[in-house]
Amino acid sequence: MNREIIVVGLSHHTAPVETREQLAIADAEVAEAYHRLLARPSIDEAIILSTCNRVEVVAATQHPEAGAAEVVEFLRESPDTEVEGFEEHLYVHRGAGAVQHVFRVASSLDSMVVGEPQILGQLKEAYSKAAGLGATGTVLHRLFHKSFSAAKRVRAETSIASRAVSVSSAAVDLARKIFERLEDKTAMLIGAGQMSELAARHLLSNGIGNLIATNRTFERAVELSREFGGTPVPFDQFPRYLKMADVVIGSTAADDFVVNPAMVHDVLRERNQRPMFFIDLSVPRNFDPRVNEIDNVYLYDVDDLEGVIEVNLEERQREAAKAEHLVAEEVDGFCRWIGSLNAVPTIVALRRRVEAIRRGELDRTLASLRQLGDRERDALEAMTAAIVNKILHTPISKLKRSDDEDDAYYIDAVLRLFELEQEEEKAPPSKVTPLPTRRKT
Amino acid sequence: MDLPELVLTMICYLAATASFVGYLVTSRESLHRAGVVLLAVGFGIHVVAIVVRSVEVGNLAIKSLHETLSVLSCVIVGAYLVLQARFKLAVIGAFVAPLAFIVTLSASLFYGGVRELPGTLNTLWLPAHLAPALLGYAILAVAFCVSIAYLVQERQLKAKRRSGFFLRLPPLETLDHLNYRFMVWGFSLFTLAIITGSLLAKTAWGEFWSWEPVQVWSVITWFLYALLLHSRTAGWRGRRAARLTIVGFAALVLSFFSVNFVFPGKHGGHFGG
Repeated sequence: MNREIIVVGLSHHTAPVETREQLAIADAEVAEAYHRLLARPSIDEAIILSTCNRVEVVAATQHPEAGAAEVVEFLRESPDTEVEGFEEHLYVHRGAGAVQHVFRVASSLDSMVVGEPQILGQLKEAYSKAAGLGATGTVLHRLFHKSFSAAKRVRAETSIASRAVSVSSAAVDLARKIFERLEDKTAMLIGAGQMSELAARHLLSNGIGNLIATNRTFERAVELSREFGGTPVPFDQFPRYLKMADVVIGSTAADDFVVNPAMVHDVLRERNQRPMFFIDLSVPRNFDPRVNEIDNVYLYDVDDLEGVIEVNLEERQREAAKAEHLVAEEVDGFCRWIGSLNAVPTIVALRRRVEAIRRGELDRTLASLRQLGDRERDALEAMTAAIVNKILHTPISKLKRSDDEDDAYYIDAVLRLFELEQEEEKAPPSKVTPLPTRRKT
Repeated sequence: MDLPELVLTMICYLAATASFVGYLVTSRESLHRAGVVLLAVGFGIHVVAIVVRSVEVGNLAIKSLHETLSVLSCVIVGAYLVLQARFKLAVIGAFVAPLAFIVTLSASLFYGGVRELPGTLNTLWLPAHLAPALLGYAILAVAFCVSIAYLVQERQLKAKRRSGFFLRLPPLETLDHLNYRFMVWGFSLFTLAIITGSLLAKTAWGEFWSWEPVQVWSVITWFLYALLLHSRTAGWRGRRAARLTIVGFAALVLSFFSVNFVFPGKHGGHFGG
């Protein structure tokens, strides 16, 4: 019987966050959930993926129609599900479409921010949890390993994840385009906010050498310096220290500019015109925009950084189109394999392979034994046929049973041991057309 | 040297230019590598062409304007190939390749017959003058390319518009450092060329200084570069330095051509004697 992958679930594309929350399966409930799911008659193997952006069940089944219905039922029965009509947010993928979906999710093509790598880690975690609970078998094992390698290929062969899409990483990217190295550079934090702390953290993890922190409440500056290993300076004296800073991050609540062009002019002279990078994360702005007009000084405010991110997201979308083609290739390969996972054609192929060997060897032997009469020839024929049948008897009965027992293990093993897969691959590949790239809405 | 080889060289340089521009626009790594390879292949053909012509002439083929330009573009590409390997600067090829193409093209436009070298010049001072002069020119040409890259990158950072170019050009600080370093090397070689040149003049014509147009121009250009390097110590880095490098190079090109066309002295139209 045919084995098929099905995916039933909902994601940020189809369901509002309230619905996703309702369906999410907490870590503590996972074991019980698998227990309930695998008790369904049509579900052979299953993996539950529950993140803040998606709740999905990936299953292997020989009865896709019934299997999908059983998964929907399973979701409805989840202890937390109270939302009426959550079914309208569900999507159901079958066959090649389901394989494509899993590969796209792993490659982060289905993510809220295309190319962000967290989903792959979440997928790996879900897989190892399912494997630990014995919920996976030959089919999903292969599906997930293939999806991990597809994701790896996408990362290696496209630059889908190479562009910064957060304010702080965009700022670090820009710093890297101004300065050759950050190790011998100093960053100054003027004011302490969530955004500037994040930016400081990013700069530090990218190797910036020193940090100076200043704040209207000096205690806060001391606190920050302790956290990041920097030096606190009193707020009214920060202009004196400005000349030491290569990167200046502003996030004070001041209504007026705390840094103006005249100030920067002087500082630059003292610095012998070494370049400076001002990052204004505050609204209203902290740094006079005219600072950007000074030679060797670069000023980016939040809007500028958002603009950079916008461009990067567009670039990621372009790369995503390339990635879709890679995914389609991988899907084809997997579909060929799962298509070969059938007891009957496998048995036929196995018999044919062994019979061909028997025939070949027998003919060769008979050709060199010309003195034999017909009787002897028939006896040899019968004996070799009997040997082959005896040897094949147990494997074939195991194969026959494997369909009933919902376990493709022996089929896969025989396909590999006798290299029967290659024969199957000559069949025309199932056509999977890459999905059009979904744009963030 | 013969025209077919030169045309082949030009095709390579032009293809390298296209390849580099393609890389800057599409970020395909293969185009990047192809650019360097094409320049290297062009360089190889170019060297062969110069050697062949030199053997024909029985002397280093650097006597006519055609030969000088051809050797110059060859040295520029050679200097680039060495420097890009040393400083991981392959992307500057996007600016070096078109320059090499233009210089080689103008060389082919002035293609002409073989000229005789006056015996008086045939001393050891000639190579001692030519080698630093050519290498100095070449390194200053690469510095010019680095400066253009700097200005492109600087403009993008200031305008806050990011195109594909942005990601693929090196950081500003790197470009500025390299500009300075190449300027120092180029200037030193240029200085050496002026000194050995005047010694050559002394042995050939009996005078260190004869108000030759090329001498006057060279000294003017030398002062310009000296000023530029000095201004570095006064904090003229970044955009100003890049612009001055371009001005300096323009003066260099101008002096080179004006000497050969407008005031052909002993260096240019005829060697005199």
